[in-house]
Amino acid sequence: MKRIIVIFGVILSLLIFSTPLYASANRFIVKSSFYQKDKIRIVFAAPVDRKLAEDRSNYYVYERTDPDIPLPIKDISLSKDGRVLTITFKEELNQHSPHIVVIKKIVSAGRNLGIASIMVRKSYAGFLMSILIGAMLVHNFVFTKYLGLCVFFGTTRRKATAIGMGITFTIVMVCSAMISWFLYNYVLKPLNLQFFQVVMFIGIVSLIVQAVDIILRKINPYLFKAFGIYLMLVLANCVILAVPLLIVVNGYNGIEAFVFSLGAGLGYFLALFLMSSVREKLELANVPPSYQGLSIAFITAGLFGLAFMGFSGMSIF
Amino acid sequence: MDPQLMKIAMGGLAVLGVIGLVFGIGLALAAQKFHVEVDPKVEAVKEVLAGAQ
Repeated sequence: MKRIIVIFGVILSLLIFSTPLYASANRFIVKSSFYQKDKIRIVFAAPVDRKLAEDRSNYYVYERTDPDIPLPIKDISLSKDGRVLTITFKEELNQHSPHIVVIKKIVSAGRNLGIASIMVRKSYAGFLMSILIGAMLVHNFVFTKYLGLCVFFGTTRRKATAIGMGITFTIVMVCSAMISWFLYNYVLKPLNLQFFQVVMFIGIVSLIVQAVDIILRKINPYLFKAFGIYLMLVLANCVILAVPLLIVVNGYNGIEAFVFSLGAGLGYFLALFLMSSVREKLELANVPPSYQGLSIAFITAGLFGLAFMGFSGMSIF
Repeated sequence: MDPQLMKIAMGGLAVLGVIGLVFGIGLALAAQKFHVEVDPKVEAVKEVLAGAQ
């Protein structure tokens, strides 16, 4: 168990630290960042042509999620040494979502360097962290989205079952979300078959469940005895279908999809664990007869939901 | 019907069919590779025994 956690941590940290490799769009652009509330700042490697750089029609800026809505630009200014460009917008920017700045033409020292499309966002590790925390706590699938409730009430009577279900669920969730993301982006999208997404995602979930069932039965029969019964419950869970659909809606890339699905799985695990801890205590409590059993569980879940509302609107990074 | 739409629908059917086939073959291979011997006597005894659970 310890070894698995260590390997997992190493892979995750490698992913996070290797992201600058993904982020570099154009070599001529050294740095791009948000500045104050309504500005974007771009630093070039060498001085650029002033007349072209300050031309407003040379730029097209949009939020990554809505590529067809250009953001209105108020002012563009280039610093004295010609390297730092500041774009001021008419409205405040939503700095939590990545923005794309398209510069139609960059000219430096009489040389045309072509078009550049720059992704501007807050520090990428922080962005990933906010996706993780967001999926886990702020938009917890059970307590704020009310998904996966049947399994949630079914498996939280004892702590041991809740933990087993949580771990199985997280593993299956990450695998199926990654495969769904891959097939959606590289098979369905190029062929204009996005309307098949639900059919595809359900198929992938059942594939993963079946594969884990077959492989676990052979490799580790003890683990299979402990977790095997939950696999079929995972299949009947709606969180597992909601996650790939949300990944598609939010337009996440591979790493973000991985982090999001991991956060969703851990969030579900957390919800199951908290609920089962309370329900084990409730067995010993003096509950009025009309509230016994599932009704007190519903009330408990409602109280948890209220508590989780405290996270709503929170942004850490 | 619009032939363009028909083309997309047919393409979709083909793609899903191929993906399904690949997954199916993969699962079948996995099932063969990770085959577990199950004693038929266990099933037989379980059949005879009472119990709804």
